[in-house]
Amino acid sequence: MRDVDPGGGAMNEKAHDAQLMARIAAQDQAALRGLYARHQARVFRFLLRLVRQEAIAEELTNEVFLEAWRNAGTFEGKASTAAWLLSIAHHRAVSALRRRREESWNEEEAAEIADAKDSPEVELQKTDKAAILRRCLEQLSPEHREVIDLVYYHEMSIGAVSSIVGIPESTVKTRMFYARKRMSELLKSAGVDRGWP
Amino acid sequence: MSEDETALSEREEIEMLLPWYVGGSLDATDRDRVERYLAHHPEVRRQLELIREERHETILANEALPTPSALALERLMAALPERRRGLLGRLLASEGYRAIAELLTPPTPRAVRYGAYAAACLLLVQSLAITALLVEGNGGGYQTAAGKDGGEGLSFFVGFTDTASTADLTRLLQEFDARIVDGPKPGGIYQVKVRISDRSPVAADALQRRLAARRDVVRLVLPAKE
Repeated sequence: MRDVDPGGGAMNEKAHDAQLMARIAAQDQAALRGLYARHQARVFRFLLRLVRQEAIAEELTNEVFLEAWRNAGTFEGKASTAAWLLSIAHHRAVSALRRRREESWNEEEAAEIADAKDSPEVELQKTDKAAILRRCLEQLSPEHREVIDLVYYHEMSIGAVSSIVGIPESTVKTRMFYARKRMSELLKSAGVDRGWP
Repeated sequence: MSEDETALSEREEIEMLLPWYVGGSLDATDRDRVERYLAHHPEVRRQLELIREERHETILANEALPTPSALALERLMAALPERRRGLLGRLLASEGYRAIAELLTPPTPRAVRYGAYAAACLLLVQSLAITALLVEGNGGGYQTAAGKDGGEGLSFFVGFTDTASTADLTRLLQEFDARIVDGPKPGGIYQVKVRISDRSPVAADALQRRLAARRDVVRLVLPAKE
């Protein structure tokens, strides 16, 4: 999910976010509304993919922006504003999942949950390669799904993913590698052999 | 192989970088490394197609998700804790600041635009009033700054630009050895005192010009009568 334009627009977007953060640090509520308008979809979707319940994702989204309101003064601008917000979101989601204990960070359990949701409609979709791929994405563990989303949808660099998830850059690369590998295995089980790995 | 295992073949190391290579977020060193490897191992290019496919479906899956409900923002704003605002906070959150910022940020709702015009008019009236005060006092000369705070220096009425960040203001104040001694006044104007030993009209005029030249931070500067 690109919230910045490639090239010259990126700096303007970054500068716009930096201005909003400075104003939020000065307790400007209009600036918080501006930041929310720019990043709420990104934050909400990131959370929803992890916690899988809209009401909880919405509650956590508000907690993320409340924390941004409280801690904007500590934002140093080293990471992008989006990465900073997603970092807060990651920690909120992990805490919420731990509290709920409804979804563990365990791949097999996640796959079982996804399998349990099969319906005739889903069965029909199994014949469509794109639908199968999306379904396999859903079957990944939250940990693997998170890194896939951060890289492909949120377009985060290796360094940004490292700071969001709180793991070393080398682990980011291996985690992404194994997430892709797991997806290929799931695809193969569903009858789609991509010839890799 | 565990996630943290480091003994990897060159091919695995390159394959690990490919998702970021496709997304265009690799640094120059890694990008060159990937391109050199791909030039000698064209069979690995097949991976790029797989990654584009995964990326496409991931984007579609995310874009199909909803966004927060319309009431979520209002709940967020209602949950904000009331906090005492600092001086700069009041400046940056002032009605005048917001109105001018909205005026300069299209598209602007008509009602807000009228508010911005009103704020601009208020600023103009205030500037004229300040100028009139200066003209009717001691022949329009500069007032030295042994003012109400008792410090040495020269005082000015300063309005900051809507794009100035807190860090910009801090740097400006440090650069000029200055501090805010009063405000915000209507129109978002602050009284700023600059520590300077030479308080002659010539020095004051030069100082005012230096401040006015900082257009990135300062939108208005007038000598202050204390």
